Amino acid sequence: MTISRRALLASGAALGLLTACGSNTGRDGGGSGGSGPKLAQWYHQYGEAGTEEAVKRYADAYDKADVSVQWRPGNYDEQTAAALLTKSGPDVFEVNGPTLDQIQGGQVLDLTDLFDGVKDDFNPVVLAPKTHEGRIWAVPQVVDMQLLYYRKSLLADAGRKPPATLEELVDTARELTTKKVKGLFLGNDGGAGALGGTPLYAAGLRLVTDDGKAGFDDPAAARALAHLRELYEDKSLLLGAPSDWSDPSAFVQGLTAMQWSGLWALPAVEKALGDDFGVAAFPAAAPGARPAVPVGAFGAAVSARTAHKRAAKDFVKWLWIDRTDYQRDFALSYGFHIPARLSLAKDPEKAAPLSKGPAADAVRFSTENGYAEPLRWTPASRVAYQDALSRIIKSGANPSSELRSVLRKVSAELARVKKKSA
Amino acid sequence: MYDAWVRVGRALRVALLIALALLFLIPFYLLVRNGLASEQDITSPDWTFFPSTLHWSNITELFEDSTVPMARSLFNSAVIAVLTTAGTLLLASLAGYGLARIPYRYANHVFYAILGTMMVPAAVTFVPSFVLVSSLGWISTLRGLIVPTLFSAFACFVFRQYFLGFPRELEDAARVDGLGYWRTYWLIVVPNARPVFAAVGTIVFIGAWNSFLWPLVIGQDRDAWTVQVALASFTTSQVIRLHELFVAAAVSIVPLLVVFLFFQRWIVAGVERSGIDD
Amino acid sequence: MNADTTRPRGSLWRRLAGPQNRTLWFWVFVGPFALGLIAFTYVPLGWSVYLSFFDAHNTVSPTDFVGFGNYTSMLRNDAFTDSLWTFVVFTAFIVPTTYLLSLSLALMVNRVRRAQAFFRSVFFLPAACSYVVAALIWKMSIFNGVRFGLANTVLGWFGADQTAWLSTTDPPWYWLVIVTVRLWLQAGFYMILFLAGLQRISPTLYEAAAVDGARPGWQVLRHITLPQLRATSVAVVLLLVINAFQAFDEFYNLLSDSRGYPPYARPPLVYLYYTALGQGQNLGLGSAGAVLLALIIAVVTIGQARWFGLGRKED
Repeated sequence: MTISRRALLASGAALGLLTACGSNTGRDGGGSGGSGPKLAQWYHQYGEAGTEEAVKRYADAYDKADVSVQWRPGNYDEQTAAALLTKSGPDVFEVNGPTLDQIQGGQVLDLTDLFDGVKDDFNPVVLAPKTHEGRIWAVPQVVDMQLLYYRKSLLADAGRKPPATLEELVDTARELTTKKVKGLFLGNDGGAGALGGTPLYAAGLRLVTDDGKAGFDDPAAARALAHLRELYEDKSLLLGAPSDWSDPSAFVQGLTAMQWSGLWALPAVEKALGDDFGVAAFPAAAPGARPAVPVGAFGAAVSARTAHKRAAKDFVKWLWIDRTDYQRDFALSYGFHIPARLSLAKDPEKAAPLSKGPAADAVRFSTENGYAEPLRWTPASRVAYQDALSRIIKSGANPSSELRSVLRKVSAELARVKKKSA
Repeated sequence: MYDAWVRVGRALRVALLIALALLFLIPFYLLVRNGLASEQDITSPDWTFFPSTLHWSNITELFEDSTVPMARSLFNSAVIAVLTTAGTLLLASLAGYGLARIPYRYANHVFYAILGTMMVPAAVTFVPSFVLVSSLGWISTLRGLIVPTLFSAFACFVFRQYFLGFPRELEDAARVDGLGYWRTYWLIVVPNARPVFAAVGTIVFIGAWNSFLWPLVIGQDRDAWTVQVALASFTTSQVIRLHELFVAAAVSIVPLLVVFLFFQRWIVAGVERSGIDD
Repeated sequence: MNADTTRPRGSLWRRLAGPQNRTLWFWVFVGPFALGLIAFTYVPLGWSVYLSFFDAHNTVSPTDFVGFGNYTSMLRNDAFTDSLWTFVVFTAFIVPTTYLLSLSLALMVNRVRRAQAFFRSVFFLPAACSYVVAALIWKMSIFNGVRFGLANTVLGWFGADQTAWLSTTDPPWYWLVIVTVRLWLQAGFYMILFLAGLQRISPTLYEAAAVDGARPGWQVLRHITLPQLRATSVAVVLLLVINAFQAFDEFYNLLSDSRGYPPYARPPLVYLYYTALGQGQNLGLGSAGAVLLALIIAVVTIGQARWFGLGRKED
């Protein structure tokens, strides 16, 4: 009897609570206090302290809409992709894209008109993947890039210079490897994820050509990828570190002499190692080819399902186009990113932290050696290529035959998106 | 001679048991060791069995960290786990009793239709479920986090098996006293079926506390984060602080361990009499 | 006229309610649960099946009907068929090891005289941990690939090199990590099932065996204990196989990174997760894979149940 009464009580309480919370749609809490329509703005979780407070401060300062910021941990791409199917998703959101299918599926709004008069001030390399058939679908927020960090002292001890070719990188990594310290860290998967198409670009090739064909149907591709296998076979690679390549911990803790990481890691590296480090682009992987660094940008996009299309677009324009002071603050005060606006990035005063030392080298790489993944390089193509790269590196699969099967899948995928836009 | 062998055998068995127990405890030891260590202690090349100074301040730091609402997410997890458990027990036990005891021509068909859903992986229905819940306007609500998870075919199955083996004499006596199904159930059956309620309840509670993907996608507001989501926020940020991660993980399992140790004798008793296993 | 229409209605009502209102009461008890299951399992399931016949990129209301196109391309997709092999290998590892470990634990704990509750708790306690927490301990502390990982530290005492447990495909050390984490989490639960089974065995059986001269130990185990545990064993194996099919959490938490998931040790659910829920969001293809997977699970489970002669009681 006691249990039955308790159970009834509990179920009653449950019903009460459920109805009580029914009106909470996630839009009411944490409002910015501005008048006008309510907008939900999503960011992925940045690791650097202060970023979250900063973006909330920007949202609070906007007075034409009541913007509430949502800070999303973990699996950001999956969360936004799912949320975009519904009306309960964000109005304005940060996106590592949008993907071509999101654009073709009408999930994001055309933002071309926001760029009137300022289009040329945006870094063209990162603006290109946000553009489809002449229309722009997201406003680049900041430019991120990846590059190679190396310990100057360890290289000097071994009598080595920073590697200029992929062969040199293989040799240097092998020589720097000792029982306790590995030569190079490309990520716990051996580089398949972090490097992506970078070795191909460093071999003078590309992922997708301008006329929409696969851009790596060339023997040089297999030769470049075979060198990555050498790194793995030589046991020069650090694998299984607690934190992955995006985190400079392994480099800072002295687990590795060189590490592939992001520009965002630079302040942490500088703080830990002083000036005992340098940066380099991914070295040339074919005779006559140039080194390469991947650049990309998180963009601000507007969900097509928002109830306030005009207000959402106005807010994006205000924050990511008009307020250059906030853009500068966001890029340089917390993490370490290159502003997406050329007028900011090239101004020696406004972008002072980027004008000297390794940071200045990095900025130079981004303009001279930078490439961005093309819009037509869809997630399905990326998975096919990354799987093949992983098999080449770890299992010693034959690069030529692996690349042939990737080419087949990528060509089919390119044909699919082409058909859809026709 | 024979006795000596038996004794040696027994000693060996106990030794093996102790060794296995130690092996099973290693992960808990690591949680505590790393959770109370400084970052340098953890990453030091020389293994220390226990950090020389215990950093109890890691715990207070965790709750003071403004970027992760640890206290709030613990509270959310507790509310969700309790309500999910109560709701599942109510719904599944009623259904289990109906299936086991009330004669109905299509009872077996209904039973198999329920049982069949056990074979459907949650990931199969994930996106449509999400769209459904969101079109109901249940995103970031307690309803959205709880209601769709209440219909556990496993729980229903266990209850049905248990009630099938429940002594009929009790119910027949109730019937003679003029009680209908409803009152027989509440007055006679439920009070005599506590072990199975405790067993299923504990399993459901653990599942609700530990579930990750659903709360991550449904609980979009930070105020609706559960403890697993909060934990994930430590592992996905660009910079991983190992000691904070481990102390958060340790804190996240303490409530469960308490519930668990308290209820475990019920679980054994419940399983024993429920026929989960036949 | 009036009486004529009410009478059939009355009898219809009575027919629906069943003898002594039994049908009515059946639905009072089962109805709420069944309705919820329809709303939150059958409707999404039907929706998934519907999607699987369409080209549904980033949409749940597709228009581009493709018939069985998604099914054929899924079956021809070597990543999907590889993931099925991964599942087969995983099952071949995990089912016998969990079965043997949990049975041995139960037998030992059942026979121990002192501190039985202590041992039972120790082995059962991991069942309270989430895969997130367990994967964290395994990946970051026990089996990380650097010098401060526990496994590498212990091996280092014997002079061995660091091993990157999760990243090494030759030999496939990652299986060691994946299998041990699941063993640790699950063995205790199945041990409890076996313990309950053991406690149901009547002592008179053992007494009779002793009178017949059976030696305690192997003979008793083989001729009394194991046959008596048959029902429990069948249930344990069934549950283990279903759970192995649904494996997702430990794989995902151990092996995924910000750029995706490696092509090895990728079970079907992980592959489908990336197909349907990632940025690519190919819901049609993902749903087709999911339906195929559900069909395979159903066939295997029903086959197993037949093989073990389960469900005969009900017939």
